[in-house]
Amino acid sequence: MANASEDESSLHEIDWQGIEYVDPVDDTLLCPVCKTPFHSPITTQCGHTFCAVCINRALETQATCPIDRQPINKNQDYYRLPLIIKDQLDRLRGCDYEGSREHLEGHCERRCEFTRVRCPDPECDKLIARRYATPEQGCLHEDTACQYCSKVMTYVELGTHWEDECDGVTVQCPDCDATVARHRLERHQSHDCAEGYLECKWQSAGCKVAGKRRVVLEHQDSGCAFEVVGHLLQQRAEDRRVIDDLSMRLASLEASRSRRRGNRERQDLSARANGDVTPHSNIPGVVLNGDMPLVPGSAADAGALDSPEDYMLSQFERLDTQMDQLQKNTRDMEARLALSFLQHTTRVGEQFAELASKVGVINMHTAWLMNMQRQNYAQQRAGLAAGPSSQADASHSSDASATGPGSSSSDGAGMRYQAGSRRNSDGSRENRTRL
Amino acid sequence: MSPAQFAAKRLGKELQKISNSLPPGIELVSAENFEEWLLDIKVLDNNPLYQNETYRLKFRFGTSYPIEPPEVVFVKLADRPIPIHPHVYSNGIICLDLLGQQGWSPVQNVESVCMSLQSMLTGNSKNERPPGDEDFVRGNRLRPKDIEFFYHDNDV
Repeated sequence: MANASEDESSLHEIDWQGIEYVDPVDDTLLCPVCKTPFHSPITTQCGHTFCAVCINRALETQATCPIDRQPINKNQDYYRLPLIIKDQLDRLRGCDYEGSREHLEGHCERRCEFTRVRCPDPECDKLIARRYATPEQGCLHEDTACQYCSKVMTYVELGTHWEDECDGVTVQCPDCDATVARHRLERHQSHDCAEGYLECKWQSAGCKVAGKRRVVLEHQDSGCAFEVVGHLLQQRAEDRRVIDDLSMRLASLEASRSRRRGNRERQDLSARANGDVTPHSNIPGVVLNGDMPLVPGSAADAGALDSPEDYMLSQFERLDTQMDQLQKNTRDMEARLALSFLQHTTRVGEQFAELASKVGVINMHTAWLMNMQRQNYAQQRAGLAAGPSSQADASHSSDASATGPGSSSSDGAGMRYQAGSRRNSDGSRENRTRL
Repeated sequence: MSPAQFAAKRLGKELQKISNSLPPGIELVSAENFEEWLLDIKVLDNNPLYQNETYRLKFRFGTSYPIEPPEVVFVKLADRPIPIHPHVYSNGIICLDLLGQQGWSPVQNVESVCMSLQSMLTGNSKNERPPGDEDFVRGNRLRPKDIEFFYHDNDV
């Protein structure tokens, strides 16, 4: 370090590689080059991620990816880091400072107790964590002896030494007969000492047992009589919370529903004003819009009732009545449908019978025409055989076809006529006349 | 942060890791500073060339580690011979592309180098030194990293 100003600036520059984190850091968040969590990471074209500093430094020597040795061009092959990695990094925590890593710089510079600052002693050029640097104490890098065990160390190390290692001066616990290091006595008394004072953990449920930890723990283990009550109380509190939550949601739902209903009624009114016939006034089956018993002012009613349970019950009843109404409407509708169906079917049946009789008539006419045709054919053949009689036969057949249409309108006579012609068609009489 | 600090940080991390756990057959002997570490390696399978032997490795880290490779050589001691291998000279100098400027990558570390050397020995069946070993050992005054190796043989 060349001069003082440079020294100052480097003091507060965060040493990203030197940060210690509260929780263990996942291996995947470590830069493969410096083995510490990524700082302003960069992802290469080949998909590997490094700290900007690390990859830049590595590329100065060799322009390939340190992992798979693919060539890398610093100006083209850097990509933006997936945000998920940034998020994960920003969750890492250093000291007990709760905050994302992105705000770390400010915290570190001004407040963090763990930031290393210059030793308050102007003679000393070492750095020291801010929490230890108080001017009154002077330089803390001088060796001091632990006041309990006479081990020599710098003042900075003393704290952890006391917490974990030092067993220097031990004392008897005044309550139990355990031997503990003097500076840990307080913690022992409040947490471990079997003779210390403790209250039963079901005190809130009404248990009055309190006294020596040993006794109270035994009491708890052997089953405090208030344990059941305690559990019930806990459950009740839980239920209460659920109910509150639900009733709040219900109220908001009701409010939005009545708002919607208001809109719909306005629409109905305007439709009626325009002379349109609203559907539910016409078809009795569809009354959902108008006469629903549930809806009017339900949100307001909710306020009048005392407890959420009552409110729920009243809602239930309303839903019940609404259900009944709907069932009635459905039955109505079904009856109506059946009736109109019946009416339609009878009419169709009558028409069907009429059609059937007409088809019968047409059938008869067809048979008559066919006979006529056959007769004509036979007469033509006979005419070819005997010349002079053919003329008379032809005129007879034309007469018969002329009378045909007339016979269809007055059927009885037609039938008789047809029967006569049929006998003729046997050809027996003609044969006789020819002879 | 200067390269030297960078190297020290990185070596600190590595030391922390390898003092907790190392793969079988690798042991940390000493790491007093961030310039020179000593490690012992053993070949784990029963390759007759290296059975029941332990070899001492010396790592020397420059200030530009891990951007540049460390200098790694075998050291000869009374109970630590130099392993016989066509890429290991009898003065302990190792010809391995991984340890050269070209073959090195900053992703490598002490542990991975040891493992590479372990497997280099495991895979060897030739009971011989590199060609020209005697001349090289007699004549060489260069540091290993200044020697221009020609990595011709990728099989061993």
